[in-house]
This record gives sequence, C-alpha cells and structure tokens, in this order.
Amino acid sequence: MNTFLIFALLVALMLTGMPISISLGLTVLSFLFFLTQVPIESVALKLFTGIEKFEIMAIPFFILAGNFLTHGGVAKRMILFATSMVGHFHGGLGLAGVLACALFAAVSGSSPATVVAIGAILLPAMVRAGFPKRFGAGVITTSGALGILIPPSIVMVMYSVSTNTSVGALFMAGIIPGIVLATMLGMTTWYRARSNNYPRQPKVSWAGRLKAFRDSFWGLALIVIVMGGIYSGLFTPTEAAAMSAVWAFIAAVFIYKDLSLKDVPRVLLASANMSAMLLYIITNAMLFSFLMTHENIPQAMADGMLGTGVGLIGFLLIANILLLAAGNFMEPSSIVLILAPILFPIAMKLGIDPVHFGILMVVNMEVGMCHPPVGLNLYVASGITKMGITELTVATWPWLLTMLVFLVLVTYYPPLSTWLPQQLGMITAVR
Amino acid sequence: MMKVLDHLEEWLISFLMGAATLIIFAAVLHRYASGVPIPGVQDWMLGLNFSWAQELCIIMFVWMAKFGAAYGVRTGIHVGVDVLINRLNERTRAKFIIFGLLAGAAFTAIVGTLGATFVWENGAHQAIFKLFGLGTGDLPEGPTTPDLEMPTWIVYSAVPLGSYLMCFRFLQVTWGFVRTGELPHHDQSKVEGIEDVADVAPPDLHPQAKDQK
Repeated sequence: MNTFLIFALLVALMLTGMPISISLGLTVLSFLFFLTQVPIESVALKLFTGIEKFEIMAIPFFILAGNFLTHGGVAKRMILFATSMVGHFHGGLGLAGVLACALFAAVSGSSPATVVAIGAILLPAMVRAGFPKRFGAGVITTSGALGILIPPSIVMVMYSVSTNTSVGALFMAGIIPGIVLATMLGMTTWYRARSNNYPRQPKVSWAGRLKAFRDSFWGLALIVIVMGGIYSGLFTPTEAAAMSAVWAFIAAVFIYKDLSLKDVPRVLLASANMSAMLLYIITNAMLFSFLMTHENIPQAMADGMLGTGVGLIGFLLIANILLLAAGNFMEPSSIVLILAPILFPIAMKLGIDPVHFGILMVVNMEVGMCHPPVGLNLYVASGITKMGITELTVATWPWLLTMLVFLVLVTYYPPLSTWLPQQLGMITAVR
Repeated sequence: MMKVLDHLEEWLISFLMGAATLIIFAAVLHRYASGVPIPGVQDWMLGLNFSWAQELCIIMFVWMAKFGAAYGVRTGIHVGVDVLINRLNERTRAKFIIFGLLAGAAFTAIVGTLGATFVWENGAHQAIFKLFGLGTGDLPEGPTTPDLEMPTWIVYSAVPLGSYLMCFRFLQVTWGFVRTGELPHHDQSKVEGIEDVADVAPPDLHPQAKDQK
C-alpha cells in the first residue's frame, strides 16, 4: 500500500511538470510527515550528507573538462584526425563522424556534449560535401550517445553512487561495448552510404595522418591520462576527472588557443550551473532512496518479483522495457538515480553481475537519448541542423535499430561488458 | 541591489568550481612530486600537508551545488517532465507551471527551515551567543569536521542559505511568469562559444590532400 502511495505521489507530482528534483523531495517530505514517525529534521541533514562523497565529485570535474574540450578546439582536431583515417571509405565523413564521436566520448562524459562538439563542426561540413542533411543528422545524433557508454561517463558515476559499484570497474567495462557499438554504427553508416552512393573523401597519406594525429595529440592524451591513471591506480576516478579538467583547460587556452583567458569564467559558470543541477537531483534522489529503504520497498519488490517465478531472462526483458519506457519521460541521470536502487537488489538476487547491469542500464539510456519525446541528443541535433524533431526521428531510425540490436547483445551476453574488468582483476568472475 | 545579488551568486559558484579543481590538482601533484628526491625541495614538500584537500573539495562542491541550484532556477536548467502539460491548452498549462514553481518555493522553504533549525542546534547558537558575549549557559559547543576541524554548523549552513535563496528565486520566476508569461529557458542546443552554424567557417577537412597534388 505504502509502495503504491509513494509512487503514485511521485508520478503525479512529476506529471505537473515541476522539476524532477523537487517532485522527489516533496514526495519524501509529505510521506515522512503524514505517514511515518521518522523525525523530519533528519531530512535536513540528509540534504547535506547525501552528496558528501568524494566519488560524486567526479561529476562536476568531468563536466568542466567536457566544456573546456567542447569550446577549446579539441573536437575540431579530433574530427580532422578521424577524417584522415576513414574519410576515403564509403560515406567518408559519416564514418569520420562515428569515429570522432567515439574519440570525443573517450574524453567527455556526456552525450549531448558529444553531439554538440562533433555535430556543430561536422554537420555543416557534411552538407557542403554533398551528403543529405538527414544522413548526417542521423549519424551524429546516435553516435553522440557513445558519450555515456565510452568512459569517462557521468551516467556511470551516477549508477556507481546509487549502487556502490566501483566506478573504475564500470569505466573499464564500458570500453569493449563502446568499441563494438561504434563499429556497428559505422557499419550501418557504411552500408547506407554505399547503397546511396554518397561522396567519399580523397585518401590521405600516412604522413598526413601522422600530422593529424600530432595535432590532436593533446586531446587524445586525455584518454591515456584518465583510463591509464585510474587503471594503474595513480588516481582515483575523481582525481582523474580533476586532472582532465586542468589538462583540458591548458590545452584549450595555452596550446590550441581557441579559448582566451577571459572566456574561462563563462565556462566555469556554465559548468557550475550544469553540475549544480545534477547534484541537486542526486541529493533529492538520495532522500528518495532513503525513504524507499526505510519502507523496505526494494526488498519487497525483489521478493515479489522472485515469487512470480520470473527467471533471469524474463527479468532482463522487463528491466529493458521499463528503462526504455522511462526514457520517454525523463533524462538519464534521473532514471538511473530513481530506478537503479529498485532494480539493483532484484538483479543481485538473480545473480546478475553489478557491472554488467550497470552497462545494460547505460545502453538503455543511450537509446532513450535518441528518440522523442525527451531524447536530449535529438534536441541538440535539431538545434544544430534546424531540422524538426519528427524529421530528425525518421532520419535516425537505421542507427536506432542498430542500437536496439546492440542492446539485446549487451543484455544477453554478459562477457561483452564483464570480460575486460575481469581480466584486469577489477571484479571477480561471476559464479 | 538585485544585480549585486545576481553577480555575487555567479561569482561565488564560478569561484568554487575553479578553486576546487585547482586544489585537487595541487593535492595530486603534491602526492607524486614529494616522492621525487630533490634535496631541500623534498623536505619542504613533505612538510606540506594536503590531507584536508578532499574534505575541502567536497565542502566547496556542496556549497556550489546549493547556490548553483538557486542560480539554476534563474537560468531554467531544472528540467521536469513536461510531455503531458505541453499538450494542454495555454491557460491550464500556465496553472500547472505556477503550481510547479510554487511547489518548488514551498519545498525549498521547508528544507531551508529544517536546515536552519539543524544548524542552530548544532553549534550556531552557542557560537553566536559567545561571539556577542551573551551567556551561553550550558549550550554545548558544536561538532567539527574531521580534517579541517571547522565547526560543522558553518559547513552545513549552505543548506539553509542555499535553500532560502532558491526559494526566493522560485518566487522571482513565478512573479516574472505571472507578469510576462515567460519562463527562463535553458537551451540545451545552444552552446556558448559556438555561433550559428551557418556563420562558422568550415574547417578544411582534407588539408593533406592538397599537398599531394
């Protein structure tokens, strides 16, 4: 009964259009006040201690780093490098877009940021090179979603915070699925481009490729700093995030000089604005999960679910459908923060690896970002291309379909995500 | 007056963002640099103590989060589920928006008050009375943080201060909406520093190709 009441209240408040963070907070306050004996003062303390974890602080750092990279010319050089490598195949610039998105995703933790960084430069260039606008928009919208799958990833930090899974292991686990998805999206691009006979770029010599690589070195080095630093134990994930923010700042301002010192306060303010919004959702989601634990909801749900005799395969199917459905209403951070505490205990009881489940959630979020009504990538891409959302949705379908195939693969073939972290000894093998 | 508050808010959160980054950067550098045996320098390095960096970073980010959330109300970055209400007619939709904004104001006001009570009972009362030479009676001194040994009530005062500011911002936005019918809107698709795509000169995507001819 209480479970039903809590969720009914939450959904009702959310549907009025108020900020998700506020509806979470109000649900908790009113429930605690009217229906329990929990001293409501404890809520105040929770509002501070909810985010008093060093792991969470990786989020503002990654956002700051991402903003410096987006504004600082790193994206442009990555695109040039990607074009020099794959531009001569069918659908050259499209493939380059997939590769550039994958590279940028490896230094940035957010999908919309990836779409902006790569799309704003590449899409106009593609149209000029003779590609239909829809083709370019479709490629970039979906490839941009790699941003949260290829580490570093803000959504993974959110998942690790709400389920106590190691951030480092999640990051490592994202690498192989990220490469696989990038390859699949690339193949779709190649196939579509070949059947429609889209233009190809002239082939670039190895000397030219080397030069493009050297130009983008400062951006690419970040991949080594973040992943190498975390894996070797030189940095914690949060420290790696701070290092990458400083590195990105130096690269943008002093090396590429695409950003002047007086732009820096603006970048700081924009990053602070975005991170504060996410941290505010986290605090309120923490309150909410405190309430759920207090009412024993995750436990009861897990027992109920197991009682119905749903097996592993059935549960994964339900989880996927639930997550995809939620992707129609909310953005990824909120979904992960609200649903992970509920689904995670069930997954654990069924013996699913926490890291595998995390990657599964992230891939679901990726799909949600690419379709209406709330797919953030779509809106960003529509802002760049000035295309309507409906037209853009039609444009993305071949790649969206590819992503759904990939989702099935990730869901039912756990080694795809767990193999690498196991090899690196970051998680123990599943029973 | 409003301008001063606006600027103070923006300046504070930008500063916290930048400073926290530099502190963690310095702490990491220090950890590895102090292992390098340079005579003189190493002793000096080892003498420095950065164990407080992590705690300070957390405190700074929590402060940034609380005040940044208030700033976010002003920039309209707090997103909600607007799929449903966007389908309603203009008048009903306006009612829902005002309800949402006022709910935000109510929530932040309650949280601010809860936070203020908590801060007051955990040392602020004692500290302030002591400061003004009033009798502190048998009021206990508040607890302090583990590394910095800062009184926790100062640290936690971010909750009441930030929440009240946020409440004020919600009311401000509501008032603006009632008067002009406009909401602050954070445009995700617009990125600072990137102008309208049509105006940006395209980068030369294959400079090397020319060299070969």
